[in-house]
Amino acid sequence: MVFSSLFFLYFFLAITLVAYYWCKTLEKKNIVLIVSSLIFYAWGEPVWVILLVLSAFINWFSGLLIGAELKKKNGKPKLYAALAIVIDLSFLIIFKYSGFLVENLNGLLRLSIPVPQITMPIGISFFTFQAISYIMDCLWETVPPQRQFRRFLLYLSMFPQLVAGPIVRYSVIEKEIVQRKVSAVDISEGAMRAIIGVSKKVIVANNLYAVVEQFFGSDISNLSFLGTWYTVILYSLYVYFDFSGYSDIAIGLGRMFGFHFNENFNYPFICKTISEFWQRWHISLSTFFRDYLFYVPIFGKQRKYFNLFLVWFCTGMWHGASWNFIFWGLYFGIFIFIETRIGKKKMKKWNIFLTHLYSKVIIVIGFGIFYFTDLSQLGRFFLNISGISMLSNGNAFSDLLTWNSMLNNLYLIIFAIIVSMPVLPKIKYFFFNWGNNTVYAVGKIGAAVTCSVLLLISSLLLVDSTNNPFLYFRF
Amino acid sequence: MQSNNNKKSHPAAPARKGLNNMKRKNVEYGFSYISLMIMIPVFLLTAVFLLVFPRSGESQIEKRKLAEFPKFTFQSYFSGEFTSGVTNWYDDTVPYRDDFKKMGYNFKSIFGIHTEDEVKIVGSPVAVVNDGKKDSSDSGRDTKTETKTDTKTETKTDKSEDKSNKVNTEKDEYKEASNGLIVVKHEGHYRGLELFGGGSGDAYVEALNNYHKDLGDSVQIYSMTPATASEYYLPENFKDVNASQKETTDSISKRLDSSIKYVDVITELGNHSAEDIYLRTDHHWTPLGAYYAAREFAKAAGVDFKDISTYSKKDIPNFCGTLAAWAEDPNLFNDSETFSYYVPSNYDKCTTYYYDTSLNDTGTGAFFNQVGNPESNAYLTFMGGDEQVVKVETNVRNGRKLMIVKDSYGNAVPGYLFGSFESIYVVDMRYFNKNLVNYIKQEGVTDLVFTMVTFSAVGGNADNLDTLRTQ
Repeated sequence: MVFSSLFFLYFFLAITLVAYYWCKTLEKKNIVLIVSSLIFYAWGEPVWVILLVLSAFINWFSGLLIGAELKKKNGKPKLYAALAIVIDLSFLIIFKYSGFLVENLNGLLRLSIPVPQITMPIGISFFTFQAISYIMDCLWETVPPQRQFRRFLLYLSMFPQLVAGPIVRYSVIEKEIVQRKVSAVDISEGAMRAIIGVSKKVIVANNLYAVVEQFFGSDISNLSFLGTWYTVILYSLYVYFDFSGYSDIAIGLGRMFGFHFNENFNYPFICKTISEFWQRWHISLSTFFRDYLFYVPIFGKQRKYFNLFLVWFCTGMWHGASWNFIFWGLYFGIFIFIETRIGKKKMKKWNIFLTHLYSKVIIVIGFGIFYFTDLSQLGRFFLNISGISMLSNGNAFSDLLTWNSMLNNLYLIIFAIIVSMPVLPKIKYFFFNWGNNTVYAVGKIGAAVTCSVLLLISSLLLVDSTNNPFLYFRF
Repeated sequence: MQSNNNKKSHPAAPARKGLNNMKRKNVEYGFSYISLMIMIPVFLLTAVFLLVFPRSGESQIEKRKLAEFPKFTFQSYFSGEFTSGVTNWYDDTVPYRDDFKKMGYNFKSIFGIHTEDEVKIVGSPVAVVNDGKKDSSDSGRDTKTETKTDTKTETKTDKSEDKSNKVNTEKDEYKEASNGLIVVKHEGHYRGLELFGGGSGDAYVEALNNYHKDLGDSVQIYSMTPATASEYYLPENFKDVNASQKETTDSISKRLDSSIKYVDVITELGNHSAEDIYLRTDHHWTPLGAYYAAREFAKAAGVDFKDISTYSKKDIPNFCGTLAAWAEDPNLFNDSETFSYYVPSNYDKCTTYYYDTSLNDTGTGAFFNQVGNPESNAYLTFMGGDEQVVKVETNVRNGRKLMIVKDSYGNAVPGYLFGSFESIYVVDMRYFNKNLVNYIKQEGVTDLVFTMVTFSAVGGNADNLDTLRTQ
């Protein structure tokens, strides 16, 4: 089930909310959340819901064992932690990477091992990383092991963050699992946040993607220089609105149920360096790797740079079982390595226009690498975006279709660029902190009305989600 | 070890002048309730609307029957088909779906600048060459569901039941030579134009030459390949993404056996491009365009031909065809047109026969049908749409029997030839499932015309022609 569907919003979520608020006690509310989360997951993965429950059980039990070993004098908590992590990673490797690994092994060693045709269970990357973070936190005694399985199952399976993140750490919601109050402010703010997320996905991201597919969806060998830049910029905006939209929905829904998840995006496109970009983009993933991989000594004294590239290799690999994702991760790793060598202080002295230009160009080209899973298309993309194909293939600098598309989507693009900047917090500040009571009232009611209108517009556009026009007896 | 426990606190309370903490909190709570009183009804009313209002069954815009509630089986459940089917059913059958879709398209029109001479591009047109080197490209719309509503009034009861609300679900195997679609404003009206990607037409040429070999000189073969509207109405600056259909058909004609007659309808239609010879909202020509083509064909065949003034004209107002839905363009939806067709004066003296899949006669029926939802299905007027074979017996007695092997463009042609041939067989090259050469010989056909639009002649439809010959 995806958040951006009428069925989820007006059937599943409506019923879940009614059942949740119908229950008086926290235990019952938690049961509603567990049941609805398992139904939510089973709706898309009727079989692999077992894997989710199994993973929850193994990690919950491992947490208990680690806790018990930590209390012993000569206990072996690390052994149990390592076992749990090996099992978690095995699930991930089997379901996500086995096909990729076998394909490459076959190619490299000229073998003909049958490539496993395993469908990846939805959200496995997210819940596996949540489980690993829990195990590590138990080992480091950052959190006490959860004694009740159903509470741990609630943590791992909670549907708002189950399939598209953010990667919520156990410590973030540990207390709220057993004690939380949902106020009108929580419900109101959470609903608005979720609606903004749906709108970012349905109104902005989906329509940006339609343009991207128009240009990148087929052979790009003849795409103009300007057309390539235009499309990859739109694709960067699309990924931001799509992913941050999902995170907004998750954070908003979480809040409606009384949970306060950490932010996952913090206006990444206002960054001046690549390091800063990754402090603002998919924060839950970058902090996961920072805390659980980068600071873990693996390569001894040389660990700093080895770990850096290991982190970026894993970051790329996490995004998908394809070489372009690995290149994408390492690409950013290289720039972060360079920035580390230059030093933050020196970079701060750089001209602000240049730093913005540098970071945006690197980021946007990076999203080109992210888009093209077909490496031959990726090669053409580089030829196009560098302008080489203008010389080697006679590609045009610009073309009619690009200009036409720009005009037909101009307001959408301007809107997307503005909203990707921290404009909304400034508007909120004006209405809620700076103005007088009348301004505050206008702001609050205006926000509610705006969100209601956005919800209706998103719903209207979702009606077209199953669009499949049949050109009857087409010729 | 850096901790990530910096849990986001509740949003900062307003720090406005003259309010202490308690008052601030109360105001915040108060307005949160007001916000919820605005948002909750919107959410709940929409949920209730989707739950209780009658669900849509068909989409006139998309010309298809909408999803049905899936049947539950353990197999369908564990494969995920059932749950995805339920979601698809719920999302697909929204009450008043078509109206909401149009509202959505209207909303999307605010995304960009719109000028008087604007062009909307749909799909991914690429540069083409006019020498037929660029082969057909798959437009990505290969799975299609067909909904046909037929209201034949003269057919036998069992036949009308059989054809009523006929739904064909099939994998459409032909590849189109489509190169995207544009919507232009021309002389005050919007028009959808499919861009032609070009193609060699080798399969078409080979098939027609093979038919000639099989049938010999006893059957006169004609090739009539009309162009689509983009040949005549395309803005000049789009020429490099649209191959010339005239050059493509000329190239085809040169490779046909010399005894096959090439009917140059593209030039003839070009002489009438100022008239309404193509539908603006649909991918077909108008019946008037088909008239000019039929007249050119009659000239080549050397048969009598009735002037259009002898026909009775019928109008179907507010027609909006397929291109509007494909382009998702509110301008096309809001700029409907009148679909005019022409009934020959000897129509009541002609009998139209329909056949089942075994070519058994299933009874007579109307050639010109009153279709359900004519504002979107008007082109189904002719024979109710595509039939594998339809025979029309006329009151003409000249010993000439015509077979039209056609795609949907050919549906509009036969009515103009009711005064020219004794019998007219209309065979759809996509659905006919017997050996066509044998059928031609068995029925004593004297004239065989292949009427396929250029997109078909260079696309996968042409492959069917040789299959019909050998199956």
